[in-house]
Amino acid sequence: MDMSQYKNLFLSESREYLRAIAEQVVALEQSPAEKGAIDSLFRAAHSLKGMAASMEYGEVVLVAHGMEDLMARVREGALEFGAGVADLLLEGVDLIDALLADVEADRVESRPTEDYAQRLAGYTPAPRGKEAPEPPRDSPKPTPAPPEPEKAKEPSGETGGTVRVKTELLDHLINLTGELVTNKHRLLNIGRELGSPALNDAVSETAKLLRALHDEVMKVRLMPFEAICDRFQRSVRTLAKKSGKELQFELTGREIGLDRGILEQLVDPLNHILRNAVDHGMEESAERVAAGKPARGVVELSVIRDRDRIQIRVRDDGRGMDPQKMIDAAVKKGVITPEEGELLSPRQALMLSCMPGFSTAKEVTDISGRGVGMDAVNAAVQKLGGTLGIESDPGAGSTFTLRLPMTIAIIHALIVQCGGVKNAVPVTAVHRTVELSRRQIETVGKRQTFLLDGETIPLLSLNRVLGLPLGRFPDGILPLFVTEAKGRRVGIVVDRLLGQHELFVKPFGRPLSKMAGLAGGATLGDGEVVTILDLADLL
Amino acid sequence: MATTVMIVDDSLFMRKMLRDILTEEGYEITAEASDGEEAVLKYKECRPDLTTLDIVMPNKTGIEALQEIMAFNPQARVVMCSAIGQESLTTAATQAGAKAFILKPFNPELVARVLREVAEG
Repeated sequence: MDMSQYKNLFLSESREYLRAIAEQVVALEQSPAEKGAIDSLFRAAHSLKGMAASMEYGEVVLVAHGMEDLMARVREGALEFGAGVADLLLEGVDLIDALLADVEADRVESRPTEDYAQRLAGYTPAPRGKEAPEPPRDSPKPTPAPPEPEKAKEPSGETGGTVRVKTELLDHLINLTGELVTNKHRLLNIGRELGSPALNDAVSETAKLLRALHDEVMKVRLMPFEAICDRFQRSVRTLAKKSGKELQFELTGREIGLDRGILEQLVDPLNHILRNAVDHGMEESAERVAAGKPARGVVELSVIRDRDRIQIRVRDDGRGMDPQKMIDAAVKKGVITPEEGELLSPRQALMLSCMPGFSTAKEVTDISGRGVGMDAVNAAVQKLGGTLGIESDPGAGSTFTLRLPMTIAIIHALIVQCGGVKNAVPVTAVHRTVELSRRQIETVGKRQTFLLDGETIPLLSLNRVLGLPLGRFPDGILPLFVTEAKGRRVGIVVDRLLGQHELFVKPFGRPLSKMAGLAGGATLGDGEVVTILDLADLL
Repeated sequence: MATTVMIVDDSLFMRKMLRDILTEEGYEITAEASDGEEAVLKYKECRPDLTTLDIVMPNKTGIEALQEIMAFNPQARVVMCSAIGQESLTTAATQAGAKAFILKPFNPELVARVLREVAEG
């Protein structure tokens, strides 16, 4: 029998099992007696072994078999599920993952599978008390019992009327739908020129159908958040262990669907926020107890759907951030001037953490590195058409909230004219538009500013940023839109505001894709090409 | 008319392999199930001539599903799929009414022969 035809299926299903194992291990660490999870772990290792045996991948069989046997011992009650078992299983997951990558690349590597299998077979837990230190007994508040972990779903195949489809095919469908939307605008233009009510009717009916088609096609691209969340569970676990902190990780909303493209771009930013929460936000147990908090900290990652947007929140009950300290640190580092510091609201002060080169950690640890990060996180979120919000209560913890669109390919954008060029800015990045009279402009130092809702907002010329000749504004009115750059509001002056438009975003190819500040291109209904600006990158 | 078969296994990979082997042999795959509970439901619905039943599965094991299928139809022809090392389970399965066993990893010729024998009674 030619087994090569099963290779892709083997790889994809094996990875599903690995993900399930990793999730169950973390869940079991919080409630080690959960029989369902123990059974499920055993079955996953067993299935992996069977599949690998069919493909004749002996090393995968060896590792999976060892894991299965270990779980059999736990299942029979001969072994307790503790940190030692969890570590071994996660090591096995990584080992098989590496082996699968070898298989995928048709590569022969030497991996320590024998050694691993022997360690599994000979595993006996360390004497009690060494493995998991008890929390201090004299803590003023008892540690709340951990809630039941959510049961990780079993990997499922194509039963229940579903099929697996290649992702390229989905991208094709999105592309075609996008082109149809562009063409609809073209038809609308022609309809207007011809003044034909019948044509207009037909086009508006087509527009409705297209909207429905677009929504359905977009749904196909949605993947549950679950697809990426096992990484977070594992990284939080590893970080907590490394920094010697006691904490509980809670995850909700794993079933919520997000666009595949967005999901992929979220891994790094979320990992970073979680790292910060564990590494900087969370106090040591002793410090927590002294402050009257439970010894065990809580880090929560929650995903909720709010109409067509997704809200992802990372909350910790750690030490929180003090806006005044943030301002002092930023002034000390020369990121802002003392005068600028005085003007900042507490919310703006917290957003200082998103400025390049800013870090509030008292000391640099090898875990979160040297302050790289929140600026990159903010930029990544904005690139996806989302926003980042930070709230903090000193002493009680911090909350980072990412608000994101569910899908990305078709966006609403503000079209602006600068010189001879039309540019588009996603409306999610636009706070509001303003037509400013020249008299309202104040000059502070070298900067031009204006007053909006009592806040002094600096002005920037988009023409200047793009290297175009500056606008003249003969009637003394400057059109501008207000956006956020590096945590602060700025007014971006353009030649003309041309209105909102629905755009089908296409990524640029090389060499344009290498240019900073460009998010892609789109075609307007009349065939004109507009550049979509990535303001976070540009400013 | 072709002999109808229901394939039960929690692994899509395993189901696909068995489906290919059996289709090649001229069987008609009328149903597939990915856990024990689904297997019982689908058996009652489709009444296949033959059923291949994996042992280690979620939501009712293969043995539990076998017992329910046999209670529903004592004439059911069920072949258990098991891995090497699960010999201890074969007694329980035989007592519950399993007609034969096929071992994973599947050997296509062996699978074909076992199913033919069970089909012919």
